[in-house]
Amino acid sequence: MPLISLASLTRRYGDVVALDGLTLDLEPGIIGLVGANGAGKSTLIKILLGLLSATSGEARVMDLDVRTQGAAIGRVVGYMPEHDCLPPDLTATDLVSHMGQMSGLPRGAARERTAEVLRHVGLYEERYRPIGTYSTGMKQRVKLAQALIHDPRLLLLDEPTNGLDPAGRDEMLELVHRTGTEFGIAVILASHLLGEIERVCDFLVALDGGHLLRAAPLVSFTSRTGVLAVEVDEGQDQLAAALTARGLTVVADGRLLLVALDDQGGYDLVRDSVVDLGLPLVRIEPRRHSLEDLFRDQAASA
Amino acid sequence: MTEPTNTQPKLASSAGGSIYDLGYQGYQGRRLARRDVLLSLYGQTLRACYGIGRGARAKIVPFTLAGLALIPAIIAIGIAAIIAQAGPAGSRFDSISPIRYHTYASAIAVFVMLFCAAQAPELFGRDQRFGVLPLYFSRGLPRMDYAVARIGGLVGGLLVMVLVPQALLFIGRLLTAADPGTGWRLESPNLLPILLQGLLTVLLLGGIAAVIAAHTPRRAYATAAIIALFIVPPVIVELVTQTGRTGLGRYLVLLSPGDILEHTNGALFRTFADGPDVLGRDLPDVAYFVAVIAIIVLTFGLTIRRYRRIAV
Repeated sequence: MPLISLASLTRRYGDVVALDGLTLDLEPGIIGLVGANGAGKSTLIKILLGLLSATSGEARVMDLDVRTQGAAIGRVVGYMPEHDCLPPDLTATDLVSHMGQMSGLPRGAARERTAEVLRHVGLYEERYRPIGTYSTGMKQRVKLAQALIHDPRLLLLDEPTNGLDPAGRDEMLELVHRTGTEFGIAVILASHLLGEIERVCDFLVALDGGHLLRAAPLVSFTSRTGVLAVEVDEGQDQLAAALTARGLTVVADGRLLLVALDDQGGYDLVRDSVVDLGLPLVRIEPRRHSLEDLFRDQAASA
Repeated sequence: MTEPTNTQPKLASSAGGSIYDLGYQGYQGRRLARRDVLLSLYGQTLRACYGIGRGARAKIVPFTLAGLALIPAIIAIGIAAIIAQAGPAGSRFDSISPIRYHTYASAIAVFVMLFCAAQAPELFGRDQRFGVLPLYFSRGLPRMDYAVARIGGLVGGLLVMVLVPQALLFIGRLLTAADPGTGWRLESPNLLPILLQGLLTVLLLGGIAAVIAAHTPRRAYATAAIIALFIVPPVIVELVTQTGRTGLGRYLVLLSPGDILEHTNGALFRTFADGPDVLGRDLPDVAYFVAVIAIIVLTFGLTIRRYRRIAV
């Protein structure tokens, strides 16, 4: 049984197409949902939660239909919204335990779990203070805690590191990773930052303008051969033309020429081309394997 | 053997800080049915109506207003006690006491309206203002249930405010009566009108407050709009009826909540010896009851519709 199953899922807002015929099956794991702002990440998450209805197409979460079995889905998923969703005058304890009850936990069990879950996300004595006095990092933790209170099978996290400083970002990602790997809760993590996805996810779904760009295990993104960066003092255009003529894909990036390599033979081609043209070579270096480059290539060719 | 994970705090270190983990626990226990979740939200709403579960400042306004609504009953019981001491001569004073079952509703109407204006925005606007609705609606809580629980909580809170003073008055008069039998015989016929009028009052005023607050997330605007809707229609009605009570103008009174409640109150208590004589009753009683029920259905319907449609 797939975790998520989409069939021609489409959502329009008037003339704007937010999701365009998405067809996709996802297995449980830590899944990164990546794309620029407006790519359709939040729209997809909201459809999965039943907060939005699809214009056409089908979506199933753990084999439950989002249109007809929304209540059953709500019991097994936890949702961390992108935007502020915390009343400032409540304490974290009161909010999280109330939300536990709203998810169907009896009052006593909700209280008990609230303490545990808040501890899990790293909130201790401050949980008795009104949320209005919290830092952004603490608020994000409360948002995660309320998504975990009812022991969901799937967590949907919409930009969980929004507004966090680098340290807070690290802690939140660590928390998400641990929740996903140690406790067997499937996670869908939406982010516009590839670096985050790279660190915690094992599967990647890339969206662009409502289209599915790519859905594959993370390894398959980074295991591709990298990109060679070539810098010459002059004659950049000549070199680019020469390399293109030899069948390589070349992109100019400021003072650098980025050459896509399929195999080791590419290195020799670049060296020979530079020598043939007699250009003053500054450096040839393999670019760090970065998801970002590959993703950009994908987006450009799509 | 599995390692016990929750006996020793484990340090999960990361670059920027540390998180002590005592172990995330799964939950295999009982889960509530839909109805119990709704009741739980209703209970929370009822408490929130009086600021219970919120800070001390949230309690000031509701408790003050509810307290003010109680004062006439306490005074009336005091008077009744003194009159009872005075013996037979006291009965003359009793008949001129201004605080009676049928005058109570209008005596405290202004407090009830202020309570609506102050608390309905808390119950209906707050979750919209702070973006909390997605947390509710993503948990499998039907939007309908959310709306029903919120409405029920406001109505329940108002009912407490309206009926507790009347109950106090009733018990006080029973206790100060010459003997319990006579007291019950004299007082008990008032119970049904008290209950019905109380229900109509809270449903009508609560419904109007709910529909406005649900559509006006900004608290100050909602409060102002609710007060305006309680105050402005009677003024218009007054102006129109001064210039002439002919034709359709007569029906304008059916848009003024205060006037409608005056008339239903008069109609419900009229069957009693000490019932009021409502002056200027141009329309048949049934018109007021139809109007009150129509407004209640409309306002609650629109409130529920709001939550069914709102984008979160």
